[in-house]
Amino acid sequence: MIVDRRIFLGSAAGALIAGQARVAFAAGETDRRFVVVMLRGAMDGLSAVPAFGDPNYASARTGLAIPRDGAIKLNDFFGLHPALAGLGRRYAGGELLVFHAIASPYRDRSHFDGQNLLENGSARPFGLADGWLNRALTALPGSLKASRREFGVALAPAMPLMLRGPAPVTSWSPSILPAPRADLISRLGRLYRDTDPKLAQALEGAAQANGVAGVGGMGREGGANDFSTLMSAAAKFLSEPAGPCVAMVESTGWDTHANQVGPYGVLNRNLLALDKGIDALAAGLGQRWRQTAVLIVTEFGRTVAMNGTGGSDHGNGGAAFLLGGAVAGGRVIADWPGLARGNLYEGRDLKPTTDLRALMKGALVDHLGIPGAFVERGVFPDSTQVRAMTGLFRA
Amino acid sequence: MGVHVSLVHAAIAANRFGLGARNQDLKAIAGDPRGWLKAQLRPETSLPGPLAALPSTEDATTAFAKWLSSIGVGPSGEGTPRINSITPGAAMGGTGGGNKQGIEQSYVKTFGPGYATAVSARIGVGETSERPFFERLVRFWGNHFTVSAAKASAIVLAPVFERDAIRAHVCGKFADMLRASCRHPAMLLYLDNYISIGPNSYLAKNPGVLPEYLRNLMKGLNENLAREVLELHTMGVRGGYTQADVTSLAKIITGWGYLGANNQANDTPGKFRFLGAAHEPGTHTLLGKAYVQQGEAQGEAALRDLAAHPATAEHLATKLARHFIADNPPPAAVAAIARAYRGSDGDLAATAAAIVDAPEAWAPQPRKFKAPEELLISTIRALGAPKLDGQKLVALLDRMGQRPYWAPAPDGWPDAEDHWISADAIWKRLEWADALSKGLAAANLDPMEIAARVLGPQLSANTQTAIAGAENPAQGLAIFLASPEFQRR
Repeated sequence: MIVDRRIFLGSAAGALIAGQARVAFAAGETDRRFVVVMLRGAMDGLSAVPAFGDPNYASARTGLAIPRDGAIKLNDFFGLHPALAGLGRRYAGGELLVFHAIASPYRDRSHFDGQNLLENGSARPFGLADGWLNRALTALPGSLKASRREFGVALAPAMPLMLRGPAPVTSWSPSILPAPRADLISRLGRLYRDTDPKLAQALEGAAQANGVAGVGGMGREGGANDFSTLMSAAAKFLSEPAGPCVAMVESTGWDTHANQVGPYGVLNRNLLALDKGIDALAAGLGQRWRQTAVLIVTEFGRTVAMNGTGGSDHGNGGAAFLLGGAVAGGRVIADWPGLARGNLYEGRDLKPTTDLRALMKGALVDHLGIPGAFVERGVFPDSTQVRAMTGLFRA
Repeated sequence: MGVHVSLVHAAIAANRFGLGARNQDLKAIAGDPRGWLKAQLRPETSLPGPLAALPSTEDATTAFAKWLSSIGVGPSGEGTPRINSITPGAAMGGTGGGNKQGIEQSYVKTFGPGYATAVSARIGVGETSERPFFERLVRFWGNHFTVSAAKASAIVLAPVFERDAIRAHVCGKFADMLRASCRHPAMLLYLDNYISIGPNSYLAKNPGVLPEYLRNLMKGLNENLAREVLELHTMGVRGGYTQADVTSLAKIITGWGYLGANNQANDTPGKFRFLGAAHEPGTHTLLGKAYVQQGEAQGEAALRDLAAHPATAEHLATKLARHFIADNPPPAAVAAIARAYRGSDGDLAATAAAIVDAPEAWAPQPRKFKAPEELLISTIRALGAPKLDGQKLVALLDRMGQRPYWAPAPDGWPDAEDHWISADAIWKRLEWADALSKGLAAANLDPMEIAARVLGPQLSANTQTAIAGAENPAQGLAIFLASPEFQRR
């Protein structure tokens, strides 16, 4: 078989992964922005990024495969799901990197453990009580930290694990009630400071976040929880001079056990919303988009074969995306294991050949300027064998 | 016991174990707080009116099946589309819907009003209950066996599932609750078991006997329910089972389904049905034990054993202690609760009584941060007003991050303050405390008196000072509602 292990597509990926050299962190660094989008429920990487060039793709995915002529072509081997038209344009424009056969170190199949591990950044579920993104923010370079009230924002009613930890972060989601008068808030602030530090901290964060988002000023065109609304809000926070430089946005509902394809297929809808949300973020950031990177990750991939109910079950290897004006895109990076039965993980899943932490580390080091030594020690412990990717960003 | 101590215990019984004290509750409970709690640990003789008025499981199943037929999905409605992206506004018939496709509009129009009624019933029963400890347990176990409207069918089935499969067994045996959950169409639909068939079953070998729309759905094994039974409902993710056990349990419960509309038997839809033709034949080994039974009895035996497994006792005791005592539950209390579970053959009333008997549960300081629905119900109980209609309740709870029957995933709502205390969540709570207090300004409520009656000795000196210094009674009331000791329990 021609297509098997160790083919790298679209780039000299060996150099990308093995290289140690750090891109100099220089001009424009204070404008750098980083957004992590977490797709909860496990996105089907083999449908989001069909590997139609693999001779076994169509047969191994009977019922789920997206054929070459139905996909947005990335190269002769990989394509994008047709719902990802915007991402397709960004790929052509050199703004999108696509990763495949990639996964966190988690090898079981529980959403909750898988998400927990992906967010806590250790090599096991509940291995750490706070999140890798928050820990990374504690080591932001001074130029990025300077004069920021908080370093990160979650566009969610509750703080996701990935952004929990010692670094100052805030959260925000759209409102339907009028804001309380400042006098009440200051009285409660005093009461909380005297009796309940956790509530005090949350309240201070809220007061500031509202100032940034402009209470009542958010459009709710797509419904308050609409992904695009959250992405537009993220853009506002990231555009605020004293606001955060990192945002986390969540999207749920990717657990496609049944009826994945077809007229009401949920995957198609989710991908459309994702695509639209990216456009909303880019539009909101305006000029800052040039200095922005967006990382899109999910807890694991899904089974190669269709299950008994027109969907796919929990798997391992999947896809991830890194995009934005700062990204050296237009490439698919994959150490492709092949879909022949003998090459599958436990005979059922796409075999993970790239550790997601290599990508996360590369983004933290080269885009946000987090010192490599701290990333190894303080952000992703137990990962020294996983080298940070390099060459992900425009010089 | 001194008056002070008995009032502290009354406040703990009403606020931590119950759903929040009402105006006269502490006085009534103070004589025997533990006795008041334990007296609630018996099955109820009749359902509260609003719950009895909800549709039957059969009617709810039929309604959903009919709607599916109306949009052209399978004549008996067994091809369930997932509609995960219904926006909050849209689902309630509001104007907020963005991605307005015809199917969503039809869904909202058909099920929005019934959903609002069910939410209203759920909240209303909590507001008025004389057995609030029992009601809290219903919500705890309902969350343990989450069926979420994140999957479309649950918008009609989740409320009746909670009533028929959970509520009925809250003071009975866990094994019966587990069995009822695994046999209810809501769970069978939510976790896909109704379309799972054994690879060597009759249907797998003779797919031609199925109508075409089912042939496309029922093609093989689906391990979703089996996995969650092990991971979430019984042993817990670190309970010691393997992927092989998941697959084995999935095979054991193949054939567990329910009757759809237009079923060939011409029987009432929504009833549990064991479909032998879908069942994987043969003996299956689960946790090292061979299950030689045939058909439905195989699953019955496996679930009974899972309910009795020591890992299940430990898993359930940990969750109960986390809910009633602290986010990081003290091991001694977990052990005592697990012991009560094992010693009573999984009797949930005896298990709940062990929580009441755990000294750790009576620490005077309110520790557990209330989830939004707990906050809402305890607020309304404290103020004796105002009743909100279903749509307003949904919108309110949605903005506070806990839309009823809409947990994000099968593991239900998190039970730890790290999930609920965030900048945005606190702000939404204060917005509501403020709006509610202003709305009640005309009622001339005395915030200090209400705070004292609801919190008893748990009312702190700081909060008293803040209420006393408020610029008007409405602001004082908002301070009481927002105070740490009322936001916690």
